[in-house]
This record gives sequence, structure tokens and C-alpha cells, in this order.
Amino acid sequence: MTRRKFIQVLLGIGSAIVIGACWLVKKAAPRKFVRAARLKKYPGSVRTLPGTYNQSEWSG
Amino acid sequence: MTVQCELCPKMCLIEPGQSGECRVRVNIDGVLRTVVYGYPCSIHDDPIEKKPLFHFLPASRILSIATAGCNLHCLNCQNWEISQANPEDTPAYYCPPEKLVQIAKQKNYQSIAYTYTEPIIYYEYTYDTAKLAREANIRSVLVTAGYINKEPWKKLLEVVDAANIDLKGMTEEFYRKVCSATLRPVQEAMVIAKASGILVEVTNLIIPTLNDKPEEIRQLCRWVKVNLGGETPLHFSRFFPQYKMRHLPPTSLKMLDMAHDIAAEEGLDFVYIGNIQSERGENTYCPGCKKLLIERIGYTITQNRLKEGCCPYCGKEIYGVWK
Repeated sequence: MTRRKFIQVLLGIGSAIVIGACWLVKKAAPRKFVRAARLKKYPGSVRTLPGTYNQSEWSG
Repeated sequence: MTVQCELCPKMCLIEPGQSGECRVRVNIDGVLRTVVYGYPCSIHDDPIEKKPLFHFLPASRILSIATAGCNLHCLNCQNWEISQANPEDTPAYYCPPEKLVQIAKQKNYQSIAYTYTEPIIYYEYTYDTAKLAREANIRSVLVTAGYINKEPWKKLLEVVDAANIDLKGMTEEFYRKVCSATLRPVQEAMVIAKASGILVEVTNLIIPTLNDKPEEIRQLCRWVKVNLGGETPLHFSRFFPQYKMRHLPPTSLKMLDMAHDIAAEEGLDFVYIGNIQSERGENTYCPGCKKLLIERIGYTITQNRLKEGCCPYCGKEIYGVWK
């Protein structure tokens, strides 16, 4: 193996290790929760807000 | 492009044009969007005891909201018409956070409840409203199944004041078969909530033949005592045949009384029975001197003898937010 070839192989291995390490760090880091974006238009029908509110019959 | 929702342990992978299991978090052109932000399908005026919260601003009225959808699919759901419904089929009001807080202020509510369905799935709406409400000195209450990932949960807890969290059973099998969920994340969420300093109360709905074994109830009580503390109020709630569980009978008073006895034996200070009239299971007694502190009939408080959050007879401080 020539000196040039040897350096090329060494650089290749070094690059692979660095890329692998970066990937590992990224995977191991806790994932940050990302909020969902707001959709302006409601997909169902929209009613007018009532002026007064009654006790609910729903549970809770 | 597929997106992943990281809000709850289901971690739904959502294809373009589809929604997650909760029905309200949707992938639109590769972006995760919440379709119910600012669109509650229910706005009501409830007594806070209905949540149930017995140790938080007793006898106050609470502005209560919900949107369509839920990340659980409990076969016994009492509110399935809205929790298991698509937003497309559920009429809603336009009420963004600013408007909701304005209504609460105008009508002198001390607190807002995010309830009826699952406040976790309308997370962004809950969070923004609770944050604004706090700035206006209005408190926020969650009524939740606690099925959420840790990071968003901790962030949400920074802006809420109290929560009633369901502990629906004590086995993974029950959670999997009845609720389409898992137990462990719920327990972790409860511990995190209690440690955050908010007021926590726990509800367990007793369903005949499914989670009514005395040893399972004892296990639940022990878990609450060890992990949340003996001062944590525990509500045993009566099941009524609903939704996909119409074949089961309602929970008997005898069964609820037995659960009450077990909880007392295990050293829980405040045990209640809900969804049924029962003198024994509605009142608050001092864990020190055993005297009656708060008398309730249904959602109505007929006597409140607490003095500055303490027992007037022995001076013991009672767990709660009393004013």
C-alpha cells in the first residue's frame, strides 16, 4: 500500500467514526417536544357562543 | 411526508391528510396541526365538586370546557359522544384563549376546568389558555387520564394548579383491553404531577367484574399511598352501563363501601365515593381527630368547618387549596 493510499483509508475510517458518533449523539439526546401548529379553520360546524352557561350533563 | 406526534405515549406516525388516534392532531402537508385549538364543543358552568375536586376551592363554580377527541378509547366512556367523535361531526364554538379568559373574568370564575374529554389532546389550547388565565389570577384544573409523555406534561404542569387524574385500574391488561392504553405512563404522570406541587386528586371508576377485585383495589390504594402520599384524596366512582359496556351492571353501593374500607385500612386520609349518594363517602373528616370537617350532599356543601385550611378541633393542616 502506498503512503497516499494509506492516508486515504485512514481519513475514510476517521470520517466514518466521526459521522457515526454524531449520529449516536443525536439519537441519544432527549427529543424536544414540538407543539402542533394551529389550524385556523375548524373542520366541523361553528356555533355562536351562548351568553350564559348551564351545568353540564357530561361526566367530569 | 409522515409526521410523528410526540405528545402521548402512542407516538402516532401520521400520514399526510390523516389524524392521530385522538382524531384532532392532523398531518397537513407534512406539518402536525391541532384542529381544535380555540374550538371547544362544550362550555359549561359546573360546581367544582363535580370534577370531582373536593380539596380545591370548595363550593366554587368552575368554567368547564372540552373539545372533541380523546387519545384513549375506554369501552365504558361516559362522554363517548364527544370523546370518540371526529371534529368534523362535532359542532363547536369559536373561543380562543383570550376570549375564554375574558369570559371567566367577566363572570367572576376563580378557575377554568379542561375536562369532559381529554385536555391532553388539545394540549396547545389548554396550555395557552392556562398561561393567560394565570396572568389574570384565574386558576386552571385538568380532569385527565394522565396519558402523556413526560416533557409536554412537565411543561403543562407549570401553568396548571390542580388535577384530578384517573387511575383506571392496576393492571396493564385492564388498560390495554378496556382503555387502549398502558398503565405505566399514567403512574409516571401522576408521580410527576404530585412532585410538581399542584393539587392532585385521584379517581378510580370501579367496573363490576373488570377491576373490582379486593386485592386489586388494595394494590391501587397502596400504590397511591406510597407514590403520591396518604393525604392524596381518592375518589371511587360508580360505573353505569355506557357505550360498549352496556352488558355490565352498575357498581353496587356494597362494592363501593368495600373499596372505601380497604382504602381506609391502607391509611389513605381522604376517601370518597362518587356517582352515588352516600353520607359516608361524600364528607371530609379530619385524619387526626376524625371529626367532620366538610359535609356534602351531592355537589352541595352544607357545612365547611375548616379554619384557614386546618381542623378547628385539633389544628391539623388539611391537604388542599382552600382559598
